[in-house]
Amino acid sequence: MKRTNQEGLKARIFDALELPKDIVLDLPRITVTGKVGAFIENHKGILEYSSDRVCINTKLGPLVIKGQDLIIKSVVADEIVVEGKIRSLEFEE
Amino acid sequence: MKNNPGGNRVLLIKLWNCLRGYVIIKIVGPYGERLINQAALHGLYLWDVKRVDKDALLAKISVRGFFELRPLARKARCRIFIVQRRGLFFHLYRMRRRQAFILGALLFIAVMYILSSIVWSVQVNTQDDTLKLSILKDLEEWGLKPGVFKHNIDKKYYLDKILLNYKNIAWAELEIRGARVIIDLVNKEMPPRIEDDTPCNIVASKDGVIEEVIPFRGEAVVKPGDTVSKGDVLISGSVTLAGRDNTEDRMLVRARGIVKARVWYRKSVEVPLVEFRKSYTGRVKKAYRLKLGNHEIDIQWGDLKFPAYVEENLPERHILPPGLGNVRFNVVLYREIKEERRFLGVEGAAEEARKKLSEELRDLPEDLQVVQKKMEFTLNPDKQSVIGTLMLEVIEDIGVEQKID
Repeated sequence: MKRTNQEGLKARIFDALELPKDIVLDLPRITVTGKVGAFIENHKGILEYSSDRVCINTKLGPLVIKGQDLIIKSVVADEIVVEGKIRSLEFEE
Repeated sequence: MKNNPGGNRVLLIKLWNCLRGYVIIKIVGPYGERLINQAALHGLYLWDVKRVDKDALLAKISVRGFFELRPLARKARCRIFIVQRRGLFFHLYRMRRRQAFILGALLFIAVMYILSSIVWSVQVNTQDDTLKLSILKDLEEWGLKPGVFKHNIDKKYYLDKILLNYKNIAWAELEIRGARVIIDLVNKEMPPRIEDDTPCNIVASKDGVIEEVIPFRGEAVVKPGDTVSKGDVLISGSVTLAGRDNTEDRMLVRARGIVKARVWYRKSVEVPLVEFRKSYTGRVKKAYRLKLGNHEIDIQWGDLKFPAYVEENLPERHILPPGLGNVRFNVVLYREIKEERRFLGVEGAAEEARKKLSEELRDLPEDLQVVQKKMEFTLNPDKQSVIGTLMLEVIEDIGVEQKID
């Protein structure tokens, strides 16, 4: 409970200062290109991968990409490129 | 994914890996994702990860990365296998068996090198066609001809030979451009030499009043005080011989002698009252100009910020051989200049004019004798300038030889 309060305070301060949230709060930045690709920065690792479901860990919890023929085009420490027929992106609670 | 920020870097890594060689690996194990995470954390770059089976993944990784991946795989309880080896390195490795092919490639390179180090043509740039042909012939005799190796050409040797053997060449330059040898020549205008025994007259080279005639050979036709104009005969080479029996005989000789005459020169300069002076500030901007046929493309970085400048074109270069298209390239230098206005005034301008005229005086040949010199300065009100006029009266030798036909 205390932790969430702290986070909220932090967010409010950065809001006031208008700093980019993805950098200061360590949030993922997701760029989706139509239905063919997604580019995820600031990830925390791959949780699960199959050709119709990619689950990527982020600070906000797992991000699930559903689709068909999904491949992981590239993986480096802070970015992942997923390509294939993307149907949905969803944050799992 | 060309528009993502990391796209360019990824492309570069891929290209690098294609050159260095990469492997397609199969990751077998229930926790393949874990291995991928570990690899990413350790800075290993994995790409094109594809699920093939419930517990098998295909991925690509660089050769070096593969060896670093092996201990990680053990920790993640996965097994990795190499499915395929790819990239230039492996291609070359496989190529080792095809020796004839490699031999052919090496031979090709060698032949290209040899052919490009041979002189294919010798070109002499001069207007005079007979001179061109004779130089080409001589060069062939001295060993510079199509077919010789260009690395062995001793430029200085050939230039010296040309200059020594052709007295009428003032300057020569030899340039090896690709497979061509280009020789640039500048001809010297040789004055026509008149042989000693050809009959000549001494004639006036300019208008004047004769002061003194000293004939060494030939007959003086003019006497002091005579006014002559350019081309008049002064000392005739046709000598009258008085015979014994009063008959006249004429003999043609080569006339020689000194004919001094009073000659007038007039020289004027105009100096404007307001002087514009341009000077370079030293700031230079470079631009590259590409010419495709009639089109010009200027390539430069930043804008030209100079308020006034002079454009200087450095020599053009053909990028492609002339047969392949007319693509030329040259460097353009913009030199910044500063324009200064200076009001000289009438006195100042007159002084400037005097200076210029004095310079003219200094340039006169030394053997003439100045009898009188006068400078006049007049103001030209319409043009806002001062005209300085120099009048010179000199005594000089005006005789020149002219052949008698």
